[in-house]
Amino acid sequence: MTEARIHDRGYLAYDGPRHGPGRAMVVLSYHTVQRVLGLKRSNWQKVMPAIALLVAFVPAIVFIGLAALLPASNDFELGDPAGYYVPISFVLFLFTSFVTPEALCTDRGSGMLGLYLASPLNRDTYLASKFVAVIAVLGVMTIGPTLLMLIAFTLEGIGPDGAIDWLIEFGRVLASGLAMAAFWGSLALAISSLSPRRTLASVAIFVSLLVSAAVGDGLAEGAEVGDSFALLNMIALPIETVYRIYGEVNPDGPPIRNVETLPILLTFLGLIVVFGWFARWRYQRIEVTG
Amino acid sequence: MSDIVISARGVQKSYGSNHVLQGLDCDVGRGITGLLGPNGSGKSTFMGLVLGLRPRQGGTLNVLGVDPDQSGPELRARLGYAPEHHDLPDDVQAADLVRHIAQLHGLPRRAATERASDALWQVGLGEERFRPIGTMSTGQRQRVKMAQAIAHDPDLLLLDEPTDGLDPVQRDDMLALIRRVGSEFGIDILLSSHLLEEVERVCDSVVILANGVVGHSSALDGLGSAASGVKVELDSDPQPLASALAARGAQATIDGHILTVTGVDEIGDLVRDLVADLGLGLRRLEPRRTTLEDVFIEASR
Repeated sequence: MTEARIHDRGYLAYDGPRHGPGRAMVVLSYHTVQRVLGLKRSNWQKVMPAIALLVAFVPAIVFIGLAALLPASNDFELGDPAGYYVPISFVLFLFTSFVTPEALCTDRGSGMLGLYLASPLNRDTYLASKFVAVIAVLGVMTIGPTLLMLIAFTLEGIGPDGAIDWLIEFGRVLASGLAMAAFWGSLALAISSLSPRRTLASVAIFVSLLVSAAVGDGLAEGAEVGDSFALLNMIALPIETVYRIYGEVNPDGPPIRNVETLPILLTFLGLIVVFGWFARWRYQRIEVTG
Repeated sequence: MSDIVISARGVQKSYGSNHVLQGLDCDVGRGITGLLGPNGSGKSTFMGLVLGLRPRQGGTLNVLGVDPDQSGPELRARLGYAPEHHDLPDDVQAADLVRHIAQLHGLPRRAATERASDALWQVGLGEERFRPIGTMSTGQRQRVKMAQAIAHDPDLLLLDEPTDGLDPVQRDDMLALIRRVGSEFGIDILLSSHLLEEVERVCDSVVILANGVVGHSSALDGLGSAASGVKVELDSDPQPLASALAARGAQATIDGHILTVTGVDEIGDLVRDLVADLGLGLRRLEPRRTTLEDVFIEASR
């Protein structure tokens, strides 16, 4: 019997199901998360995200381990989720500066932006997909450890008392983590929208954060022109916002601790809106054909 | 499906004080249509309007039966686009990129994976599909761009300078591929180019843009037919013959040793007699035929 083989099926038309623009946003967000985390890329690209994730979770794992191994006592302070963001804020700062620009800059540098905008995505849905992706990655670091601690402490019997308290604590964990991720994410997208060069965007984010901290604290504490100028410190602002979500004040924090809660929350939300608006404004003006 | 793929009436587009398209009217039919025009004539702007990337400032535009300004995302799901630039992400495998773009155009993941593989085979990159794009040649990258544009089975394919940067052999291969996509695959194509020879080789019709309007629009099979007048090639300076023809009411334009003569009846006999009277050496006397170059030059004026 002669064996028959098809060597060339030719071009086949596709008449199967097709998803809409919403699905395209999910696809792009998922792809961006993979890019930012260095998945399907060289090992070198995975180093920074892996270290950042590790450092973000290590304190939580240590706390959980200590709580499990040591008998609970009044001296052992576990209930300070807001304070958790102080030690990991340095990691978030570095991650935002040196990893998140991958979400936007590479698409412009590599010409992918033209292909994306020639798909069912438009400029707004493209940016929204990127924002969601960045928040998702940052959210793993900002929500993950505190949520892990909440669950572990609850299982160990040292969590919040009662269902209501637990839900309140859970809400604060989510709100704090999302707030941190939204702030750092929108800042990164706004600055990344200025350049297709990732390195340039990284340096710009890094320097702008440092300068904002120096200027804000310098004016508030050094020049003593008013505590409100401490709101300019974009490193301290999200941390202090998290403290206020928990109804606390960062006891050892920079001068922003002296500012009332309402101005802090308004400045925090206002900056997220301004960063988002700026990125959108930039992307409405980018030409992708010719 | 209608025989008209793109219909534009009075389309206007300006960037500040720069009026790129100034009332553009054209119908692009099925098959492969060449979009020709000198640099700055508005080809890329028109492509952007067809894709719905920019709102027009006037006129009506209908692409595959819908208005790109009103239904951009839905329309773009049915379009394939291969941009002019050579950049693609270096560290992504060709198969991953093509699958990703197919998914963005609405295909479920499994279908996108299968069609990405098929598309890369169709463009001649079947064996290379798992290579990072950064390791590929310019010709292979152009093929990847073609594959990502056809993987989701678009109704209309927009190709922006698809042979840019290719050597002659690669260019021939790419033109053959375009012809195949337009004929065998049944995908209508709008091919933007500034190379007349390419358009003549692969296109069924042509739209020539000049100064923001359509300078010419027609099927290409009409070209090459005899036009009025003759072409005369001499072995010496054609100026005396040009002067003699002008004295008899004919128009003669000189290009080296070649004269293009129009404007009077029985022109062949007149040229023959004048050449004999002037004692000139005649190399060639033939009916003038309209070439795409003639049309392009005329349209660009």
